[in-house]
Amino acid sequence: MSLDQFLQYLVSGLSQGSIYALVGLGFTLIYAVTKIINFAQGEFVMLGGMLSFVLMESAGIPMVPALLLSIIIAVVIGAIMYLLAIRSAKKASEVSLIIITIGAAILIRGIAGEVWGVDAVRPPFFTGEKSISFFGALIHPQALWIVGTTLMITILLHLFLSHTMLGKALKASSINPEAAKLVGIDTRAMGLVAFVLAAALGAIGGVVMAPLTLTSYQVGVMLGLKGFVAASIGGFMSPIATVIGGILLGVVESLAVGVDWGPFTSAYKDAIALVILLAILLIRAGRLAAEERGS
Amino acid sequence: MLAKASDKWVWIVAGLLLVLLILIPFKWFLGPYTNLMIFIAIYTMVTLGLCLLMGYSGQVSLGQAAFFGIGAYFSAILSKTYGVNPWLAMLLGATATGAFAYVIGIPIFRLRGNYLAMATLGLGIIIYILFRQLGQYTGGPDGMAGIPYLSVGGFAFNTAFRRYFLIWGFCLASLLVSQRIVNSRTGRALRAIHGSEPAAESVGISVSFYKVKIFVLSAVLSSLAGSLYVHHLRFVSPQSFDFLASVVIVVMAAIGGLASIWGAIFGAAAIRILGDEILPRFENLSLLKSWDLDYLNIIVYGLLLIVVMVFMPQGLFVGMRDAFERWRLKHAQREAVT
Amino acid sequence: MKSLILETRGLYKAFGGLTAVDKVDLSVEAGRITSVIGPNGAGKTTLFNLIAGVYMPTSGEILFDGKPLGTAPPHNRAALGIARTFQNVLLFDNMTALENVMTGQHSRSRYGFFEAALRLPKAHLEEETISLNAMKYLNLVGLGMYADRNPLSLPLGQQKLLTIARALATEPKLLLLDEPGAGLNALEKQSLSELIRRVRDMGITVVLVEHDMDLVMGIAEWVVVLDSGQKIAEGTASQVQKDKRVIAAYLGEEEAVE
Repeated sequence: MSLDQFLQYLVSGLSQGSIYALVGLGFTLIYAVTKIINFAQGEFVMLGGMLSFVLMESAGIPMVPALLLSIIIAVVIGAIMYLLAIRSAKKASEVSLIIITIGAAILIRGIAGEVWGVDAVRPPFFTGEKSISFFGALIHPQALWIVGTTLMITILLHLFLSHTMLGKALKASSINPEAAKLVGIDTRAMGLVAFVLAAALGAIGGVVMAPLTLTSYQVGVMLGLKGFVAASIGGFMSPIATVIGGILLGVVESLAVGVDWGPFTSAYKDAIALVILLAILLIRAGRLAAEERGS
Repeated sequence: MLAKASDKWVWIVAGLLLVLLILIPFKWFLGPYTNLMIFIAIYTMVTLGLCLLMGYSGQVSLGQAAFFGIGAYFSAILSKTYGVNPWLAMLLGATATGAFAYVIGIPIFRLRGNYLAMATLGLGIIIYILFRQLGQYTGGPDGMAGIPYLSVGGFAFNTAFRRYFLIWGFCLASLLVSQRIVNSRTGRALRAIHGSEPAAESVGISVSFYKVKIFVLSAVLSSLAGSLYVHHLRFVSPQSFDFLASVVIVVMAAIGGLASIWGAIFGAAAIRILGDEILPRFENLSLLKSWDLDYLNIIVYGLLLIVVMVFMPQGLFVGMRDAFERWRLKHAQREAVT
Repeated sequence: MKSLILETRGLYKAFGGLTAVDKVDLSVEAGRITSVIGPNGAGKTTLFNLIAGVYMPTSGEILFDGKPLGTAPPHNRAALGIARTFQNVLLFDNMTALENVMTGQHSRSRYGFFEAALRLPKAHLEEETISLNAMKYLNLVGLGMYADRNPLSLPLGQQKLLTIARALATEPKLLLLDEPGAGLNALEKQSLSELIRRVRDMGITVVLVEHDMDLVMGIAEWVVVLDSGQKIAEGTASQVQKDKRVIAAYLGEEEAVE
C-alpha cells in the first residue's frame, strides 16, 4: 500500500468511524443513565438519513430546515419509544428490555420499509462534491462535514454534561441514581432525556452520513452493532473514549479493506467489526469472571 | 382425587389433539394446509430450543438462526455436493453444530444479559456472512437447489404428505425428550440456576456447565430442524438465516413463553399462521392495498415483541395459561362455597 | 489427637485496597459446633465465602480434610462435602419445598441428559432415591407436611429451616450457617438450636456466623472472634466472654453506633 493510498483509506476510515462514534455515544448515554442497551440505536441513523432525503427530494423543503426537521422527527420518535415501550415496562428484566428494544428496532425498520421501499437513496451533498487534494489523497467535502460535525457534537456534549444543570443531573443519575434521587433529580425524566439525546445523536449521524454513503431502510442493524463496538472499546464510560473507539474501528475497517487478503474479499468488511466485537466481549467476559471471584 | 381427574382430562385432550394432528394432511380434511403445518413443526423445534434457553438460563440468544442455518447447509452440501447419505449428513450436522455451540458457549456464557445478547447477535451475523461469502460451497446469495429427499430403504419422502409425518415425528420426539429432561435431575438443576445462581452453586450445580449444556441442546434442536427444512424445500439460501430470521425465532419464543415446552408449538403456529394465512388476507383490504407484505410482517413482529414483553413478560402462552388457572381456581372456590 | 476438618493458614483477602480478611488462621475441629462472631464488617461473611469458594483468597490457603482446596469452584466444594446457607435465604421460588431439598442431592446422583431423555431405569431408580432422601431431610427439620408448598409461602423461620434441609441433602461433612437466627422469634431460635445440635449428633461439623449472642453462647462449643478482618480471640464461650480485646471490640462498636 503506497502512502497516498494509505492516506486515502485513513481519511475514509476517519469519516466512517465518526458515524460509529455518534452511534456509540448514543449507546453510552442511554446505558449510563438507564443501564439499558438500546438495540434500536442504529435505526435512528437510518431515520435521520431517510427523512432528510424524503423531506428534501419529495417534499421540496430547503436543505437547512429539512435537516433540522429530520433530526426533530427522529427525536420525537425516540421520545415516543421511551415513553410507550420502555417506561411502561416497569420492573422488566434485562432480557425483557433487550427484547423490547429489538421490537422497537424492527418496528421502525418495518415502517420505514413499508413507507419508503427498499431502494438506497442519496440526499444532496451539503456543499458540492469537489474533492480536496491532501498529500495525494482526495478528501470529499462531505467527509469533512462528517468529521467536523462529530468533533463539534463531542465538544458540545462534553460542555452540556459538565456545564449545564440538566447535563450535571444526567451525569449524577448515571453515577449514583439513589443519591441523585435524594437531591431531587427526577431520574425517570433523565431516562427520557438520555433517549432523546441518543436519538438526536443517531439522527445527526444519519443526516451527515447519508449523502456520502447512501442510506436505505435496512442500514440500522449493522450501524447499531458497530456503534456498540465503539462504545465497548470505550468501555461504556466516557464520551471521549467512545469517540476514540468509533474512529479506531472505522480506521481499522477501512485499512483492512485496503489490504490484499488473498481469497478473502472486502465483503468481509462487516465481519471484521463483528470479530472485533466478539473479541472485546470475550476479553471482557474473562475479566468479569476474574473480578467476580476476586482473583 | 381432583388432580387425578384433571390428569385424565389432560390425556383425553392430548389424545384428541394427536388424532387431529394425524388427520390434518388428508385431502378430505385440511390437506391444503400440509405445507404450513410442516413449517410449524420445523419452527417449533427451533423455538423450543430458545424457550428452554431463555427460560432456564435467563439469557436470550439473538443468533439462533445461525444454528438453524448450519444444520441446513451441512445437510445440503454433504448430501448434494458430496453424495453423503442424508441421514448421516443430518447426524453430522447436528454433531458439528453441537460441538460448535459447546466451544463457543464456554467463553460466551461468561457474559450475561446485554453483552451475551450482543455477542450472539454478532455471531449470528458472522455466520450469515459466511453463508453468503463461501460461494464455492454454499452457492452464495443465490443458494443451492436440487437437494435430495430423505428416504428409508426404497421409501422416499418425496411428497409433502409423507414428509408431514416424518417432520412432525421429529418435532413431537423433540418436545417429549425436552419434557423428560425438564422433569429430571438436569431440569431441576436448570430451574435451580434460574431461581438463584449462588444457591445452585452451593448445592453442587455447576452453573456455567448447565448453561452451556442448554445452549448446546438448543443448537442441536435448531440444527436438526435446519436439516429437515432443506430436505423438505430441497432449496436453501442465506436469507432464511439472517438477522430477521433470528428475530422471528425470538418472536415465536416470546409468544410461546419462557421455559414452556408446549408453548413453543403455540408460538411457532401463531406466527406462521399469522404470516402465511392471516396477514395476506389484509392485502385485499382497500386500506392496505399498496402495502408490502414483507414489511407488514416485520411491523407486526415488532409490535408483538413490545406488547408481549410489556404486558406478559413470561410469554403470551404462559400468561394466558396462568390467567386461566387463576380463573379456574376462583371458579372452584366459588363452587366450594355454594 | 483431635482431627481438624477445616483449617485456614494465613488466609488473606483484599478487595481493591480494602482488607476484608487479614491473615486468619482458623482450626475447626471435626464434630463440634464452632461459631464465628464479631462486630459488623469484621469479615465473617467474607470468610464464609472464601471457604465456600465464592471468592478466591488473595493469599493463604484453606485445607479441608487435610487437603488444600486450591481454586476449586463452589460446586466442586459442595461435592467434596462443604454445604452452606445464605444470610438472605436464597430459596428457589420456582419449585416446591421438596424439590428445593431435592436439588441438594445433585452431586450425590449421577444420571443426566440421556438417561432422562430415554427414560432409562437408572433415571427412575435414582429419582426415587433422591426424593426419598429429600423427604427424610425435610422431616428432619420438621417441614414434612409442607413438601408441596412454594417455599416463599412459608414464614421466614421455616424458610431458614428449609435452606438447612437443602444444605443437609448435599450430605456434607461441614455445614456453614450464615446468620441462621437473624429474623427469627425466640421460639424459632430455640428449635433452631435443637436442630443444630441434632445435626452435630449426626456427625456433621457445624460452623455458624451469628449475631445473636444468646444463641451462640447456648450452642457453640468453640467460639472464634473476628474484628476488622483479624482473629482477636478464640476459646470456649465463657473464655471468650472474659477476653479484654473482645470486650473492647464490642464496646468500640457500640460507641461507634452512638
